[in-house]
Amino acid sequence: MGRIVYAAAMSHVLYPDYYGENVGPHGRRMVEALIDVVRAMGRTLAAAAPDALVVIADDHLNVFSFDAVPALCVRIGRSVSRMVQDDAIEFDRALEGLPERYPVHEDLANSILEKGLQSGFDFAASWSAPLDHAFLSPVSTLYGDRPVPPLVPFWVNCFVAPQPTAQRCFAAGCHIARVVTEGPWKVGVIATGGLSHFPELSLARVGQSDVAFDRRVVGWMEAGDTEPLTALTAKELHESGSHELLNWLVLLGAVSPARARVRFFGEMGRIDLAALEWGVA
Amino acid sequence: MSRYETNVVLYRLKKDAAFRDRFRADPRQALADVDLTDEEREAFVRWDARALNELGGSLHLLLSIPGLGGH
Repeated sequence: MGRIVYAAAMSHVLYPDYYGENVGPHGRRMVEALIDVVRAMGRTLAAAAPDALVVIADDHLNVFSFDAVPALCVRIGRSVSRMVQDDAIEFDRALEGLPERYPVHEDLANSILEKGLQSGFDFAASWSAPLDHAFLSPVSTLYGDRPVPPLVPFWVNCFVAPQPTAQRCFAAGCHIARVVTEGPWKVGVIATGGLSHFPELSLARVGQSDVAFDRRVVGWMEAGDTEPLTALTAKELHESGSHELLNWLVLLGAVSPARARVRFFGEMGRIDLAALEWGVA
Repeated sequence: MSRYETNVVLYRLKKDAAFRDRFRADPRQALADVDLTDEEREAFVRWDARALNELGGSLHLLLSIPGLGGH
């Protein structure tokens, strides 16, 4: 019987220059401290030796554009590329220097997709979508020079309204956990993004976060209290800049009723940075 | 409808270097065949990122278009 051997969630721009340029020395120092913590988490993850790593993250309008925006999408196929962006600026520069291709755990990805469709989850599937910083900045920080296990990238539409509900994301995570249990593999699961930033996706509000909201959400995770998390509305997520919490809700469904342990929480002003682990082993 | 067109242009500006070069050289000409409202077109021509965002343009695209995005 398969099992989830490691579960964590973390902010996903693990790139000091970005915060150094946009926030200043305080931002750079804070993300460097987070990176140290994520590297330590990576040692725990690597020691768990997962056969596959499910990575739940969002598209920053890099991959699916506006021609078709899947609510939830499983990356299938044999391998997946890093997104290529010429003359990258801002958060896209976090991809620079990373490997160009990563293996996909085809059997687990196909199982999540096929069993999903059999049980009422109409996931989209992609054979070609590349990965942006939301996936690769955490994965590369967790693994460093160690070999990255085969990935199962799983996209949540966090930014193009209407997004999937918190409840639906949680249910998708429960589905992923069921598929893992039915399979033969040891699986790591990570979710990325957040905490609050870019409220209302408004350029005028870049630089603001909602610390009270973030503290409340993290407290619920520490307590293993999923009910208020799954009750979060699109309006609450949008107004607080917590769009990417939908990724975390998928993970919460996969690990429930486990409680989170906070490994890092930092208030930067522009964003609250965080890294949490769940006791699943 | 227009929100879609606005974001298609932003996406092309990020991903299509040749289009981006044409836009920077002559934005009005580069957008001549694009179905935009007058308000949207003028926001592009004067590269008013805040106005484009308020008209439905993706924040993440507006921040990350080489040579045009950022703060």
